[in-house]
Amino acid sequence: MKFFLPAGFAFLRRSGFHFLCLLVVLVNLTGCAGKLNKAAAQFHAGNPQAALKTLERGDHSGTRNQLLFLLEKGVVLHQLGQYQQSAEQLLQAASLIDSFEAISLSEQAGSLVTNDWLTRYQGEYSERLWVHSYLMMNYLLLGQYDDALVEAKQALKRLQQYPQALKHDYFTRALIALCFANLAEDNDAYLVYRQLADDLPTPKPVAADIVYHAGKLGMQDEVERFKRIMVAGSADDAELVLFIAHGKIPEKQPGNVFLPPSIRFAFPYYAAAEIPGLKLTVSPVSRQALPLLSTDLGSVAQEALEARKLRIIAKETVRAAAKEAIAQSVGNKNDAAAEVIVRVALFLLEEPDTRCWKTLPGRLTLVRIPLAAGRHNLQLQLRSHGWADQQTIDLPEFELRRGQRAFRTLRF
Amino acid sequence: MRRFLLVFSGLLMLILLAGCSVTTREVAPDEQVIYDESYHFSDKKAIVDAMVTSLLSKYPLLRATDRPVLIVYGIANRTSEHISTSAMTDDIRQSLLASGRVRFINETQRQNIARETSYQYGGTVAAETRIQKARQVGARYMLTGTLRSIEKNQPRQFRLKKKTLMYYSLNMELTDIQTGLIEWADSTEVIREASKPFIGW
Repeated sequence: MKFFLPAGFAFLRRSGFHFLCLLVVLVNLTGCAGKLNKAAAQFHAGNPQAALKTLERGDHSGTRNQLLFLLEKGVVLHQLGQYQQSAEQLLQAASLIDSFEAISLSEQAGSLVTNDWLTRYQGEYSERLWVHSYLMMNYLLLGQYDDALVEAKQALKRLQQYPQALKHDYFTRALIALCFANLAEDNDAYLVYRQLADDLPTPKPVAADIVYHAGKLGMQDEVERFKRIMVAGSADDAELVLFIAHGKIPEKQPGNVFLPPSIRFAFPYYAAAEIPGLKLTVSPVSRQALPLLSTDLGSVAQEALEARKLRIIAKETVRAAAKEAIAQSVGNKNDAAAEVIVRVALFLLEEPDTRCWKTLPGRLTLVRIPLAAGRHNLQLQLRSHGWADQQTIDLPEFELRRGQRAFRTLRF
Repeated sequence: MRRFLLVFSGLLMLILLAGCSVTTREVAPDEQVIYDESYHFSDKKAIVDAMVTSLLSKYPLLRATDRPVLIVYGIANRTSEHISTSAMTDDIRQSLLASGRVRFINETQRQNIARETSYQYGGTVAAETRIQKARQVGARYMLTGTLRSIEKNQPRQFRLKKKTLMYYSLNMELTDIQTGLIEWADSTEVIREASKPFIGW
């Protein structure tokens, strides 16, 4: 079939022009993350309600960013205290991540001659773990401890999949142990705490927990070993557990390497930006928190991306070869001008996929304060390097039964 | 030739469209429909049947003639899936009640029973129609259980399919509340293997 084209429009038949059209469409695709960027900006400006509205308008450009919409909604709803709704979004995200185990041939083929923005966002290894971290927090806050344990097991699976990349996520690992301990699953809790003791710079923060669970399991040698380094424990058997989030996770940056004549390797990277830890003081002074366990999410994300580096390089190399072959083939079949247009189009198409979960905090800290049964009024003073003033928080009055754990979440 | 190609591609399109159409069908409650290795509704039925049969055919319920009173304290979910274990306990209770050999305390309605009792004694209900206080029956036995799972994945190697082996086990116990002794315990298992392709369209 041939279309009639008036004189002067014959260039529309050129391969180069077709590539230019494709380029316009694809450049437009990379700009479709607009709603996600807007929602993240609204969220970090302290307006989670507006962020939720933006996210609820949905993604009209297909399912490429479906995972990100679910992840961002999960955090925004968590921040708004709608833990059940947040869990629903994150469960969908977890199931979507599981479905990504199968490689889509059509998607991979398309992205080989364009860029990764064309594919569905599958989440970095770290983000795949944090889905379960937020689900654990949601279920603990809702008092659904069996469900929190299910998520702890899912998180453990992720940690076993990518052990090196996720090793330094102490917050999530301590949260997993807490979910086991909360349901008296002593053996599992002991194992997680024991591995944490090996990986932490000092085992001190988890020594008391190891002593407790090893004691229940009758492991006297472990009890004796960790008793020597544990912080003096409190006789109180109830506990207030706080999930404190502060700062903002760094975003992925576009990186480029150029090779003549028109080869461009594009890759995402995280700029080094450490979020300092918290210093916490509790009033009244008789109530002291156990040693804090926290994760700098930026550095874990960086390690997770690093773990994927070989795959990125391999795919970039195949893509560069495919693009070079296309450009040469167009050059052989058409004139030099067509080849130049194709080369320019393919060069510009090479955009690094910088999509990421943007509403995450920079650091997550697990705070445990042993308390006696009864009513409590606590004041927290939080300090961090880089903050102009210390933050003072008066927790609303709460009551604890004997042996009870109460959970609260805070974000700055 | 061109006509043949047109007819062929038209037919291919029709076949593809037919494959994409939405279909529904009724599934019988006792039919086994299994898509993957995870927990399915047919597992619940098999588990409940096995437990009820064991409970009614063994001591202490086998010899009980006084329709002992039981209370269900639920089945703890220790699997790696979000499974509603209350659906299991509901079915176990229903099957045991249908046998006519035991009675159950309605533990989930205790608050509502207390509220209704207070209402009846609030002055608006005729005295002769009020229920009598302190006439509730105490439970003799407590029924509890734990559902566990173990998942085993095929080791990483070059292959086109990923195999997963899933093992579920339900352990249940009947405890004599007066003595604290476990009078009956049994378990039932479901083991399933599934494989998923690594590559899709």
